[in-house]
Amino acid sequence: MEILSGLFNGFSIALQPLNLLWCFAGVFLGTVVGIMPGLGPAATIAMLLPLTFGMPPTSGLIMLAGIYYGAKYGGSTTAILLNVPGESASVVTCLDGYQMARNGRAGAALGIAAISSFVAGTVGVLGLMLLAPPLAKIALSFSSPEYFALMILGLAMVVLLAGDSMIKALLAMLFGLWIASMGIDLFTDASRFTFGSAELLDGIDFVVVAIGIFALGEVFANMEMQGGASLLPVPKGMRELLPTMAELKACRFAFFNGSVVGFIIGVLPGAGSTIASFISYGLEKAVSKHPEKFGTGVPEGVAAPEGANNSETGGALVPLLTLGIPGSGTTAILLAAFVLWGLRPGPLMIQDNPELFWGLVASMYVGNVMLLILNLPLIPLFAQILKLREYILYPIIFGISIVGIYTSSSSFFDCWMLSLFGLLGYLMRRLDYPTAPLILGLVLGDSMERALRQSLMMSQGDLSILYHRPIAATLLFISLLLVCLPLFRNFNQWRIRAIEDNG
Amino acid sequence: MLDLSNSKKTGMACLFIYMLSPFALHADFKPTKPIECVVHTGPGGGSDVLARFIAQTVEKENLSPVRFQINNKTGGSGVTAMTYMAEKKGDTHTIAVFTGNWLITPLTRSETKVSVKDMTPIARLVLEPALIAVKSDAPYKTLKDFIEAAKKSPGMLKQSGGSSTSRDNVVRQLLMKSTGSNWTFISFPGGGERISALLGGHVNVMVIEPQEAGEHIRAGSLRVIAQIAEKRLPGFSNIPTLKEAGFNIPNVPQVRGIVMSSGIPVDVISYYENLFYRLSKTATWRKYLEDQQFEDGYQKSAELSYFIDGYTDQMREILKEAGAKVIR
Amino acid sequence: MLSNKRSMLINGNFISGLVLAALGSYIFTQALNWDYMTIEGPGPGFFPYWYGLAMVFLSLLLVASAILEARTSENPKTVNWSEVGRALSAWLLFSLSVFLMKYLGFLIVLSALTWFVIKFMYQQNQKIAITTAVGISVGFYFIFAYALQLNLPVGPLGL
Repeated sequence: MEILSGLFNGFSIALQPLNLLWCFAGVFLGTVVGIMPGLGPAATIAMLLPLTFGMPPTSGLIMLAGIYYGAKYGGSTTAILLNVPGESASVVTCLDGYQMARNGRAGAALGIAAISSFVAGTVGVLGLMLLAPPLAKIALSFSSPEYFALMILGLAMVVLLAGDSMIKALLAMLFGLWIASMGIDLFTDASRFTFGSAELLDGIDFVVVAIGIFALGEVFANMEMQGGASLLPVPKGMRELLPTMAELKACRFAFFNGSVVGFIIGVLPGAGSTIASFISYGLEKAVSKHPEKFGTGVPEGVAAPEGANNSETGGALVPLLTLGIPGSGTTAILLAAFVLWGLRPGPLMIQDNPELFWGLVASMYVGNVMLLILNLPLIPLFAQILKLREYILYPIIFGISIVGIYTSSSSFFDCWMLSLFGLLGYLMRRLDYPTAPLILGLVLGDSMERALRQSLMMSQGDLSILYHRPIAATLLFISLLLVCLPLFRNFNQWRIRAIEDNG
Repeated sequence: MLDLSNSKKTGMACLFIYMLSPFALHADFKPTKPIECVVHTGPGGGSDVLARFIAQTVEKENLSPVRFQINNKTGGSGVTAMTYMAEKKGDTHTIAVFTGNWLITPLTRSETKVSVKDMTPIARLVLEPALIAVKSDAPYKTLKDFIEAAKKSPGMLKQSGGSSTSRDNVVRQLLMKSTGSNWTFISFPGGGERISALLGGHVNVMVIEPQEAGEHIRAGSLRVIAQIAEKRLPGFSNIPTLKEAGFNIPNVPQVRGIVMSSGIPVDVISYYENLFYRLSKTATWRKYLEDQQFEDGYQKSAELSYFIDGYTDQMREILKEAGAKVIR
Repeated sequence: MLSNKRSMLINGNFISGLVLAALGSYIFTQALNWDYMTIEGPGPGFFPYWYGLAMVFLSLLLVASAILEARTSENPKTVNWSEVGRALSAWLLFSLSVFLMKYLGFLIVLSALTWFVIKFMYQQNQKIAITTAVGISVGFYFIFAYALQLNLPVGPLGL
């Protein structure tokens, strides 16, 4: 009952004309920010903070939050069309999204991304609204051993993303782990693999590696052949531009998967949307009837990660609003915004400012609808980009990559790294090394090592802390299942063949 | 005419210009384009929030004809920002927010090529005290209780904090050494994770900033057992400071202030000194300090320079004793 | 075509395996310089030690399998080096652009790169090359530098 009255109150705030305007401004800006690689929601929110000082905090929060979850919608656009992840979480969307585009289903991919983002985003808000306080308590019981188990689950995805050669997939992952360990060691302050360079003290930025390997690597590989063969088929007519009923039907589980996985991982401070996307993608592939098709352009391969990175925003707002604990860079700046507006973020903030919470929740429902309406008609427009001939498209990709990297760090060093990873991406494609495990290793490496060392410090070296606690044990068990799944499949096929041979 | 050698001629010329310089001093410097304010944290980090508030207050109180623009130069615990500042020799429109980190990082990191010694100190602004907090259902009512428990089971109790050269760990090292006790330090990269670890019962104690802790204390989930400050903070008047509780260790404040690159003319330095002096006296600033529970640590350029030297030497000794590899 | 790819793969597996084995050994030896285990838990050397070792092990496996496959396959054909050459020269062009960007600014270098790619890599005529090069630069300027007010590398002409 309380929830309904709160929600009613919230809508009365969110539907005020001025707040609707701020909501629209936020989600629109968010979409633009998401599309542009290198421009992230955190920096944009920081830039716009001064603008919000004249507004009531609720309106300011409605706009800034709009930027936050709007960006997740935009990130898939360049990922699908150009293999350039607009946002770090969109990396996973590149895997099947770009392949769908190459198969002529760009419009369908964009549509599925938008629909999945809408469904999952709405579920995320629902979760925020209904489950926030109890979830916050559960989130607190999550600590390093559970994070470690979660990372192991993520790494188990390597098995699922391996493709033909397990050895090469593992080697790619180990390479990713190596890059992840570059920089200052948090616990002992030792510098690892910095080669004496001040720029490497912070390691190599994930976006640099992702854009280099995915976008540039792909372009260089395509440039091997001259003309004709690599022109992407562009679908004609509205029907071709939208997902078919069959495709949508195939994504049923993915919508659910993405929503739940994304939201839960979002609630955990420190686990980000990239991890959520990977796990959701891996889960989808694990339960799929045609896992070998993942990576060639299956709609569920787009729906799952896209959903996950959207519902993750709803989840990330849980610790922020219920405990005043920021889980990521973007929520940290939102926290700063609260402070600058004179609010006191913490366990009592919702109690003291109920209209803030309910106004935000209601505006997120509205915002997700706005985003769906905003994004769907843009699909035919965006799909036209693929009509450009490759010799126009590729320099554009070069340009966007450099702009994306340079604007976020103003560092030529990062541009050099971009170039280097572009070469690596090309070589990996040529030599048949799968690229997804490298990205996975890079994303997880740091967190996993930290979680392991923190856990062992907590237990004074007792390894059992890693598997004695219920949540950690469950996650480790699921990882084990996932790793053994291909073996089960092979065993099953062998069994069937054996029966057929005998019969 | 006197037959002066070349160097003597130069000397006379300099003297002449120097005598004219009072005029230069009185020709007031005024900024003509937006002032770039460099911070070493990302958006939302400690220095970033302070810088944004400074920018906001400067505009609100009309302290400057131009506005301040924040430039985030993250990386290497301040190394990227310091390197950037070092390249801006003589730039009169670029300032930076420095913290204790800037002074400590060059001591242990061989990759740093520059340090605050290559920059011009302008003003020290705030000292950030800290609190020692435990979960509210923990059996420790005072810091002494905690230390006793730590002595009984050495290495078993845990503290969550930042990196091993952060203030959290420095305080821990000092306390452990002066009391002969021992407990583990577990690093978490973000404040959110540190607080979660404490609230979730995975660690026993934490050094926390007052504004981070405030709400949790109000909600009853955390208890403060000591303060790390020169004198008691207004919001925590019944919690003893370390010295009052009998722990004779040097006070290690988290300090933030303003520096500029090298090669800045004297009048420009006075301008900014004055600007920040006026800032520190505004009611908006005073309220901010009160809300955030900061100590007003305003110091002028010369005093700040002296403070920096003293702080660096003190940190060097502390780090050496804690076993860190000090290279400068 | 298939056997071309296969033979390149076989050679590629061999070489990349060796390179990765070398990298793995480097990582492993570096890891030995750091603390493997400290009183408080695994040290900075712990993880690199293990994944360096794993890298060496797996890459040697790869090399071994490459050798085995080479022995059992038919006559290995030559690699289509012209294709690889095109791709690598594209990469060199890109790297050169990054280098020049510091001195000539983003827009000029982007136009030059575009022009080069269109004229030489895709053999289109001069008109298309120049109009596209200029068009792309103008477009980038408007969207990124003007509308979004982002910082792009600036050269002597302020471009």
